[in-house]
Amino acid sequence: MAVAALSTSHLTKDYGGGHGLFDLDLVIHPQQVFGYLGPNGAGKTTTIRCVMGMIRPTSGSAHVFGIDCMRDSVEVKKRVGYLPGDIPQFGGMTGKEIVAYLGGMRGGLDPRRVSGLCDRFDLDLGRRFREYSSGNKQKLGILLAFMHSPDLLILDEPTGGLDPLNQQEFYRLLREERERGATVFLSSHVLSEVEHVCDQVGIIRAGRLVRVADLAELHRIRFHHVELEFADDSDIPEKAMRRAEGVTDVNADGRIVTCTVHGSFAPLLEALHGAEVTNLVSREPSLEEMFLEYYQERSELPLLP
Amino acid sequence: MSFLYSLRLTRWGIAGFSTLAFALTLLQSIGFYQVVGHTPAERAAFGRSMAQLAAQFTVLIAAPIRPDTVGGYVQWRAYSFFAILFGIWALVSAYGAARGDEERGLVEEILATGTARTDALVTRVLGFAAGAVVALAAAALGVVVGVSGAHESIGVDSVAGASVNLLGLALCCYALTLLVCQLAASRYATAASAIVLLGLFLLNSLSRQLDQLSGWRWLSPFRYYDLSQPLAPGGAFDVRGVEVLFGSAAVMTVAAAVAFSHRDVGSPLVRLPVVPHPAVREPDRNPVWRVPVLRGLYDRRIGLVVWAAGVALLGVLMVILTKGIVEPLLGLTQLRPYLNLLITGGVYPSFLSFIWFGFAQLLIAGYAIAQVARWSAEDTDGRLEAVLSNPMSRRGVIVERATLAMIGAFVIAAVSGIAVGIESHVQAIDLNQGRLIAASLLLVPMAMFFAAIGALLASLLPRATVGVLGGFAFVSYFIVQLAPIFHWPSWTLNLSAFHLYGQPLSSGVDVTGLVIMLLVAAVGFAAAALMMERRDVGI
Repeated sequence: MAVAALSTSHLTKDYGGGHGLFDLDLVIHPQQVFGYLGPNGAGKTTTIRCVMGMIRPTSGSAHVFGIDCMRDSVEVKKRVGYLPGDIPQFGGMTGKEIVAYLGGMRGGLDPRRVSGLCDRFDLDLGRRFREYSSGNKQKLGILLAFMHSPDLLILDEPTGGLDPLNQQEFYRLLREERERGATVFLSSHVLSEVEHVCDQVGIIRAGRLVRVADLAELHRIRFHHVELEFADDSDIPEKAMRRAEGVTDVNADGRIVTCTVHGSFAPLLEALHGAEVTNLVSREPSLEEMFLEYYQERSELPLLP
Repeated sequence: MSFLYSLRLTRWGIAGFSTLAFALTLLQSIGFYQVVGHTPAERAAFGRSMAQLAAQFTVLIAAPIRPDTVGGYVQWRAYSFFAILFGIWALVSAYGAARGDEERGLVEEILATGTARTDALVTRVLGFAAGAVVALAAAALGVVVGVSGAHESIGVDSVAGASVNLLGLALCCYALTLLVCQLAASRYATAASAIVLLGLFLLNSLSRQLDQLSGWRWLSPFRYYDLSQPLAPGGAFDVRGVEVLFGSAAVMTVAAAVAFSHRDVGSPLVRLPVVPHPAVREPDRNPVWRVPVLRGLYDRRIGLVVWAAGVALLGVLMVILTKGIVEPLLGLTQLRPYLNLLITGGVYPSFLSFIWFGFAQLLIAGYAIAQVARWSAEDTDGRLEAVLSNPMSRRGVIVERATLAMIGAFVIAAVSGIAVGIESHVQAIDLNQGRLIAASLLLVPMAMFFAAIGALLASLLPRATVGVLGGFAFVSYFIVQLAPIFHWPSWTLNLSAFHLYGQPLSSGVDVTGLVIMLLVAAVGFAAAALMMERRDVGI
């Protein structure tokens, strides 16, 4: 069996007060694009920084292609391209100097690869870093992560600051990297980003991995926003709707009632028995809404059917 | 933006300069009673000696009035120096308020709260003014405590007058820097402000010697500061001069506020059009980027050239002034005991050894501290993380940093040593070439001594590193300068880092000191490497 591109075992970084990362077990296979999802402060960046050897785990271990991230961090980094969540401040250095400086540390920098990436993202390396817009700084960060065609890309919220066109270009680049054979570990709190590119998703909250699912599983846990319009002479079975299993957020406004339906529609339809519905609109939520719903823990509804 | 927040932003400056101001005035006022003598005749003789001594330095500091009195002496030795010190504080603080906070995004955050630009700027001025008042109160307290320790007293009105005069100068320098920072691009703002302030300082100080400049000195705020010497008996408190200082501070603050209101955040008031250039898509082809250490030197090349040239120029200036200063001093019998403390070899080598190489140690320590400050900044601004995301070990980072610091210090020491050697030859000052080389090269282990301690501190207390290291250098310098004068116990000298340097130009290399410096440097960097291996980066 091929060695995992990235694996962690009981990886823990305890900052105290319940903050940090706890007992993370994760396996990401080669050529997989793995989305790492979680709200702010969930522990995404802490995980990434542990894997990159920037911070020392309290306990547990992390390996990249079987290499220990703590003991052999130099070897690990030979195979990794890293985009940090906060782009470093390079002050008055120009883009071309930054690329040459960091590329020179790694060696074997291919100017054609750099040039190609700059063309794709329309990045001018002749300008000073402090003159770059936040979007251009992010593009430079992407360039620095991708320019040496690494085996594993570790990207911390990579599309922050990018406009939609550049986001699409970035997603295309990710797909090409996967086809080339690279593995991608991508943290995000934007589910649509994951929907675009990821094969598998890990969801983290309060420092603990709560779920690893493939994209198909994510689609199965979708819920629906429903809007019902009742006839003028019809009763509105609001109480029955509230009691119906899987139906939440029931709000009545005149003859129009909105609600959210989790899982099967059968309990709702049963509650509507005898009422005259003149219009019914069901809207699928975005993945972002699903994600928020999942975290709000307003109900104990099961994620998977 | 609240006044308290403004004060919070300057809290470290207030703490540091208050401590410094208190220590200086206390030391000078206590020191006065140690050296002035006991009888009126001794005091008068001391006053004459000091006046003659001061006459050699009027190119930098105004001549004293009644240096035979504690007021005149403290005015000359402390408050004249405060003009430079508070000018530097004003420069740094105003740059931070005008442009530094913009670079950090703080100004946008403040303006986004609905704070008017004028309010934000004026609040910062008030914050600095309050901080300066605290520091001046500390300075005044130092004078009062020092004088009362000798069972004498000094007029409250004269201390208040000196404080108000200095406050006016500090505010004037602050407002001037604020104004310059509105006009200059961010990357040039510090240099432009420093050049303007230094130019105005030199305009005033050189006009004391050069008549052709005297017609222009009205432009300099330092001129109006000099008009008042209220601590000295008979020294005036020039109301008009103080009015000019406060008035020009107010006018420049208003002008800076108007300019701030009309410029883009992050840009100067007048922005030169960007020259169109074809987009660059390739990395810099310079091969130095691929060579460890060389890439760091190349990145720091402008700073290193400025350091080397600046230190060399100061060295040359000191050599040029040597004969002019030393010869009149040798004629002063009252200064003989003091000079005997300094002269251990030839007169000029001893003078250069004590004055120039004493100062050069402070400068090289400053260079080391500047490197350490950069290392701390690299940790917090993410550059260290960017470096470590490449196949580069943490130990390698420390080794590269140490090597860079060593080469930088060597370049500065070599250039300044060569410049001093050439100029001393021109001035017909006979220096032992071997000792000059040794004295210059000894600056390298001195720099590494500070850099190693700084590297270790940066691993333990990254935010406080520069302050702690700077304080250590400052205290070390004053111990070496003051211990012989005040007859402090010999063990106090061992507390000073600069004591390790010895007097190589006049007495040869102190091998013990050299070994200790090298040991501390080696152990410090080794410990820093160990700490670096174990610590979290960027937190």
